[in-house]
Amino acid sequence: MSALDIFMVVVRVAFSAFIPLCFIAVCVWMERRGAGFFQDRSGPNRANIFGFRAAGLVQNLADAAKLIFKEDVTSGHIKHKFYFVLAPLIVFFTAVVSFAVVPFADTLVLGGKSYLMQGIPLDLGILWFLSFVGFSVYGIILAGWSSTNKYGVLGGLRSAAQVISYEIPMGLAIVSLLVVYGTIHLNEIAQFQGRLLFGFIPMWGAVLQPLGLVIFIVAAFAETNRTPFDLAEGESELVAGFHVEYSAMKFAVFFMGEYVALFVSSAMIVTLFFGGYQVPFLSTATLINNAKPVAFLLMVAVPVAMHYFAGWIRRSNVSHYPRENDPRVFEAEIYIKCFWGLVIFLEVVLLLILFADKGGPAAHIFVMLLQMATFLVKVTMMIFVYIWVRWTLPRFRYDQLQRLGWQTLLPLALLNIFVTSAVVVALS
Amino acid sequence: MGATVKTLPRKGASLKERLYLIEIVKGMATTFGHFFRNLLDNRRLYVRHYPEVQPEIPVRWRGRHRLTTHEDGTVKCVACFMCQTNCPANCIQITAGERLDGRTEKMPVKFTIDLLECIYCGYCVEACPLDAIRMDTGIFSVTGDKRSSFVLELSDLLATKGAFAEEDYKKGGA
Repeated sequence: MSALDIFMVVVRVAFSAFIPLCFIAVCVWMERRGAGFFQDRSGPNRANIFGFRAAGLVQNLADAAKLIFKEDVTSGHIKHKFYFVLAPLIVFFTAVVSFAVVPFADTLVLGGKSYLMQGIPLDLGILWFLSFVGFSVYGIILAGWSSTNKYGVLGGLRSAAQVISYEIPMGLAIVSLLVVYGTIHLNEIAQFQGRLLFGFIPMWGAVLQPLGLVIFIVAAFAETNRTPFDLAEGESELVAGFHVEYSAMKFAVFFMGEYVALFVSSAMIVTLFFGGYQVPFLSTATLINNAKPVAFLLMVAVPVAMHYFAGWIRRSNVSHYPRENDPRVFEAEIYIKCFWGLVIFLEVVLLLILFADKGGPAAHIFVMLLQMATFLVKVTMMIFVYIWVRWTLPRFRYDQLQRLGWQTLLPLALLNIFVTSAVVVALS
Repeated sequence: MGATVKTLPRKGASLKERLYLIEIVKGMATTFGHFFRNLLDNRRLYVRHYPEVQPEIPVRWRGRHRLTTHEDGTVKCVACFMCQTNCPANCIQITAGERLDGRTEKMPVKFTIDLLECIYCGYCVEACPLDAIRMDTGIFSVTGDKRSSFVLELSDLLATKGAFAEEDYKKGGA
């Protein structure tokens, strides 16, 4: 094992372990500020460090500090303390681990060796994801049961029934996808989506399987316990459902697990239906061959985008009431300078690409970084859709949820399989 | 006189509505409109930037209580117990004593209002025959770190001045 091999292992594991964790902060921030903007209010924007509020991101630090220093209560009536503590860990662990098979860039070829860009280079692909998502509900059921609380038990039961109902349409939607792609390996699925349909439409899962996309997204919402399917913790009925007895960091682990699950299922939707890490219209081979023009275009586009972004920061980051020597104007100028610093750094990196060998290792690494960025942008957009839906739709009633699962999604998923198989057989 | 019956059209029965997805997309378009508008220009948020920007309190608004005085600074209250009798929350406790400034015979020695009990109904103000108790301080936020800090004594009630001009208050119809 060469030094490069070890380095690549470290990079891949670090990416697939830390990016979901970093995205907890981003998700919580997006959720709270997004919720504010959806409801015509501003969301948390007061917490600051020396006057720097980072658009409300500092609130996350305050929340974390609060949750860490809160008293960690385990009620006296809880008999099975081991399972009580185990439950949030299961939810969190399964959520993080299920990201391990999602590819975040195409296979990297360096020094004649190819590296599969995913946390664990397994061939299990989507089966790994399905198994861990199915397992994460054990954490919720265990939490509900070990709480020895009627609300907890009801939340856990609802969650169990919901997951049974929605795993089936989800699995069937994936079956019809596998018929199209012909593989369970997520990297091959993403590579498949790099091609073009009729020469101008990206061959994404969303184009080939629109019905499968709808079924999968609905089922994924149910699996992550997000609105409109968050019956397991419906606060108007069950107080907080399965995590009613949890406080302080035990609750925080549930909370973080939920957001990691949100990230992972967004990543999964992106990988299966929106081309994964593929830059639209530009496949990996095209990108490597044309690394220099792409880098040049980026060198032009990034400062232009930054110019408008700076204007937006300047307009948004002011106090909206009369105030002498508004400190938020100064704050905004600092942010703009930081972002311009980042842009200059990017420009230098892109300049290095321009002077590197054509098709050499620099081009490969550049394409890898570009695909990672594309992947993260797509996932962030999908997370935004989750948040968007949460602040638009009301919660389903329990019987409506079951009816939708069994009477609508299941027949539709079966129909989708038949139609897809017929088309695939007819075309081959 | 017969009741007029108005039949409201029931929604949700047509195929388009039963498909659900179209209606979801419509709803999401509405919420996204709000999001995008606020993202582009956050001055448009329907938000008062409290506490820097304080709400405007109208004259008739029932805030924290105070006791009024004559021009020479003597308390108007004659300890008639009307407010205490009228109070539905039993938050007013008066102890009457002999009056020594020559205006009348009685005055309150102790006049306590427990703000944790008070429901801010304003019956005390309406009951008072001498306009001695008012709720025109404009104080809407009563905070404290212990229960006893919410019990106002006679001196606290006399110390606070009204937030509005006398003629505005009279116009308010008190």
